[in-house]
Amino acid sequence: MKRAFLILMVLALFAGMLPGCAPAAQPTKAPDQPVKIDFWFAMSGKTGEVVQTMVKRFNESQNEVFVTATFQGSYDDEINKLKAGLQSKNVPAVVQIYDLGTRLLTDLKVITPMQDFIDKEKFDISDIEKNILNYYTVDGKLQSMPFNSSNPVLYYNKDMFKAANLDPEKPPRTWAEVAEYSRKLTKKDASGKTVQYGNSFAFYGWFFEQWMAVSGQYYTNNENGRKARATEATFNNDRGVALLEWWKSMIDEGISQNLGRSTTDTKKAFDAGTVAMTLDSTAALRDRVDAAAGKFELGVGFLPRQNEEDYGKAGTIIGGASLWILNARPQAEQDAAWKFVKFMVAAEQQAFWHINTGYYPVHAKGYNHPDDVAWREKYPQFQVAIDQLHMAPTNNVTAGGLIGVFPEARQTVEKAIEAYMTGTTPTAKQALDEAARSITQSIQDYNDTVK
Amino acid sequence: MSKPTHLRKTAGRVLLYLLLTVAAIIMIYPLYNGVVTSFLSPSNVDTYPPKLFPIEFYVQNYADALQQAPLVRFVMNSFIQSSGVMMAQLVMASLAAFAFAFLPFKGKQLVFLVFLSTMMIPWESTIIPNYLFIQGIQWDDTYMGLIAPFMASAFATFLIRQSFMSLPRDLYDAATIDGCSNLRYLVTIAVPLARPALGTLAVYSFLQTYNQYLWPLLITNKVEMRTVQIGITMLRDAEREMWAVIMAGVVLVMIPTLVLFFIANRQLIRGLTAGALKG
Amino acid sequence: MAVLTEKTVKEAKDHGRRRGREARHDIAQWLAALPYLAPSLIVFTVFVFYPLIRSIVLSTYATNSIGQMANFVGIKYYQRLLESPEYLNSLAVTARFVLYTVPGVLLVSLVLATLGNLRLKGIAAYRIAFALTLAISGATAAMLFQFLYHPNLGPFNYMLDLLHLPRVGWLIDPAWALFAVSVPRIWLQAGFATVVLLAGMQGISDELFEAAKIDGAGFWASWRHITFPLITPSLFFLLVVTTLNAFQTFTEVNILTKGGPVDATQVVVHEIYRSFYFNGQYGFASAQALILFVIMLVLTIIQFGVIEKRVHYA
Repeated sequence: MKRAFLILMVLALFAGMLPGCAPAAQPTKAPDQPVKIDFWFAMSGKTGEVVQTMVKRFNESQNEVFVTATFQGSYDDEINKLKAGLQSKNVPAVVQIYDLGTRLLTDLKVITPMQDFIDKEKFDISDIEKNILNYYTVDGKLQSMPFNSSNPVLYYNKDMFKAANLDPEKPPRTWAEVAEYSRKLTKKDASGKTVQYGNSFAFYGWFFEQWMAVSGQYYTNNENGRKARATEATFNNDRGVALLEWWKSMIDEGISQNLGRSTTDTKKAFDAGTVAMTLDSTAALRDRVDAAAGKFELGVGFLPRQNEEDYGKAGTIIGGASLWILNARPQAEQDAAWKFVKFMVAAEQQAFWHINTGYYPVHAKGYNHPDDVAWREKYPQFQVAIDQLHMAPTNNVTAGGLIGVFPEARQTVEKAIEAYMTGTTPTAKQALDEAARSITQSIQDYNDTVK
Repeated sequence: MSKPTHLRKTAGRVLLYLLLTVAAIIMIYPLYNGVVTSFLSPSNVDTYPPKLFPIEFYVQNYADALQQAPLVRFVMNSFIQSSGVMMAQLVMASLAAFAFAFLPFKGKQLVFLVFLSTMMIPWESTIIPNYLFIQGIQWDDTYMGLIAPFMASAFATFLIRQSFMSLPRDLYDAATIDGCSNLRYLVTIAVPLARPALGTLAVYSFLQTYNQYLWPLLITNKVEMRTVQIGITMLRDAEREMWAVIMAGVVLVMIPTLVLFFIANRQLIRGLTAGALKG
Repeated sequence: MAVLTEKTVKEAKDHGRRRGREARHDIAQWLAALPYLAPSLIVFTVFVFYPLIRSIVLSTYATNSIGQMANFVGIKYYQRLLESPEYLNSLAVTARFVLYTVPGVLLVSLVLATLGNLRLKGIAAYRIAFALTLAISGATAAMLFQFLYHPNLGPFNYMLDLLHLPRVGWLIDPAWALFAVSVPRIWLQAGFATVVLLAGMQGISDELFEAAKIDGAGFWASWRHITFPLITPSLFFLLVVTTLNAFQTFTEVNILTKGGPVDATQVVVHEIYRSFYFNGQYGFASAQALILFVIMLVLTIIQFGVIEKRVHYA
């Protein structure tokens, strides 16, 4: 009896092994059955729903490929999951990875470059925005297919502008103007507590990168790591210091609200009407339009530059993410993934994507699509990011930094900004120097690991 | 007793009860607050000042929590992991403890030290290779991956060994003379007699594993394989500012261990402190 | 010269045979014990000893982001540790964390155990209340406190408001964050610690107290001279365990602050996690993990060497 019990215990132990064995996605290719592939993406909330809708459309539009799309959390979470998956050989056929992962994924040699598929099929990419293609081209080859691209824009509350005697059709264009407008837009109540702030900008590393780019500055040496591999960070210069000092002076003056690193918090404050201006990606546009509906008139402006003349000299970097095809999957799955990728960047899909999110169409024909044109007539705010994209010259500054440790670098910069803003680090130069030192160290460590 | 002394004694007693109650309130407060918050409706949670006393029983939060995150699945995963580790430890510790307590063999001291040394090596120092190893054999996102590293425990072995060593030697000698095999002795005599210690170990290892955070965080990625401690943070991230729902989730997750605690607390405490006193 | 007589040859052969028999006996004993020890030893080898060796090897290599070793770097990472501000910061943060939690737990549990040891009616219920946190996990404790610490909706700031004291940015202010993270930890461990101390107190024979009372000793005197010395073994045990646990803290930090703000709560284990999981520096992280091991070992030895002497064994 007791022995039976012992045996039962041991059996139960191993029975636990059965339900949880991780099944690798099985590629089925029976003659009349569609090739099943997995697609990982990192868009949450409404944007995620739009992605799922587009996936559904693809599945319904043909019989050869069936895509199962799974939400993997934030971009950071997703890339960690991908790394873990690479270790255990458990990866999807196609994955959406953010811009920061470009160098890393290329170096790991775990992907099949899009260029291979393009060349094989002589696929026409002449309609895809040059600046965007530029970002994802490494060593002369297009590594991934841009899918959701954005740049940062200034969201502002037109009603508050009117109330402060500011022209609601003229958002501030320079940093000095931002400060000046913010002063007029900050309101206090009888007890002296601030009830409305002129602005609130999250300590988001991406904003820093963009501001440096529009000031014409490289993030790293070797022309952002695009001419040759980057070996050191170079953003700790005068323009960087000027940026942080301007930013902090507004917080210290009480006209900019310190909400920390989260753009979720600044978006919330803007929607709630406690902040008159905020910075965010154009990808957040649709949500802002919906949130402001019936409450206030939404205005969108360009990312403010330090000086007016910067507008003619430099531009924003494209942000967002792209689609990558992993070479661990069998060729049949990779080909299926390519079909899916082509669908997602086609004009009609990009127009749908633009209208429902704010990410601008990667495909130039996307915004010539009638739906898109009609939408932009109704909501001219959607035009701003496109104009800003076209204003940017095509060079290695606007191509953006290309380093394998970018996710870490961005966190380091955010930390440095936070340290300076909270007074933990006394000067901006110190904060940036420290960040640059740390990132240079990481870059060099990383370069050690590339065989 | 004279009146003033009696008064002083009573006053003293009242003061003590007061101190005791204050201490108890402080210790229970975080838990109490969590429970109270979990029953508040959204309009009552998102307002200032926060409600310190239970004013309603809005159970919708619990329904929402169960809907927003697969809490039941998480609890099940944790249960499977904890039961697996518990049973494995019970078996392996009993076996090893038996060898230490009853079987003579050369180098017993050495092997004992080997066991002891595993208690000196902190888990965090071996976690990276363990992580890579489990990934390499594709045991990530599996129950085996969650259970395997913890199947043996030196602490468990010593706990049981302590208990076995308190069994009379004559019993063993008599049994073996009568032809009883070692295994049979272990299973039919030693184990039943060591039931208190085994019970303590079972509860302790179950609780420890149920409360694990870092290891499940590392090796589970798929939502359906996550355990309960990670699960509630997923609920928090999904619900962002819906604190009532988040607290409901936290309470739900705590229920199994609290129940276990109330049932087994005397057993657990006695068993653990016996070990602690002996150092 | 030994005379080779028949007798000595026989003795020699007997001796040899006995040795052989002994050896076979030893082997037989070993084989009998092996099946009982093998399962545990196998698990230990696979999950403790082998990884320890592998950690050492990994710490001398630069690895790519998915953990594959790329280039040998020798002791570069160990040298880096001596200079890396992030790492030195994490050591400082962890040291401060230990200084908050260890005395915190010991003091709180001492108070609770003393109270719980009183001979009063209904004391059992109080004891259960004090021991309650035994059943709570680090994650749930952290989540409960996260709400308590909420800037606007949390009771703590509300209570400060009632007392007309300035609000505290518990988890957002670098000056308060580490303290804020240590409180749930102290709360959590207080349950276990109180139980241990209570058991120790209950083990003290009543006669000692009777004798003291006869000599005219009051409550505090007998506490100072009887109770406290006799629970020093338990206190020492708690000191060692809580210190080791403090060094291994991860959960509360990961849930409440993720190491921030501005690395104010970046304890060593969280730094290791960030190094390998996010930055993909498996080698560097392994070096950190091994140093952690050494630190903990050294600290334990010191504690045994220096403090254990003052423990009063009855």
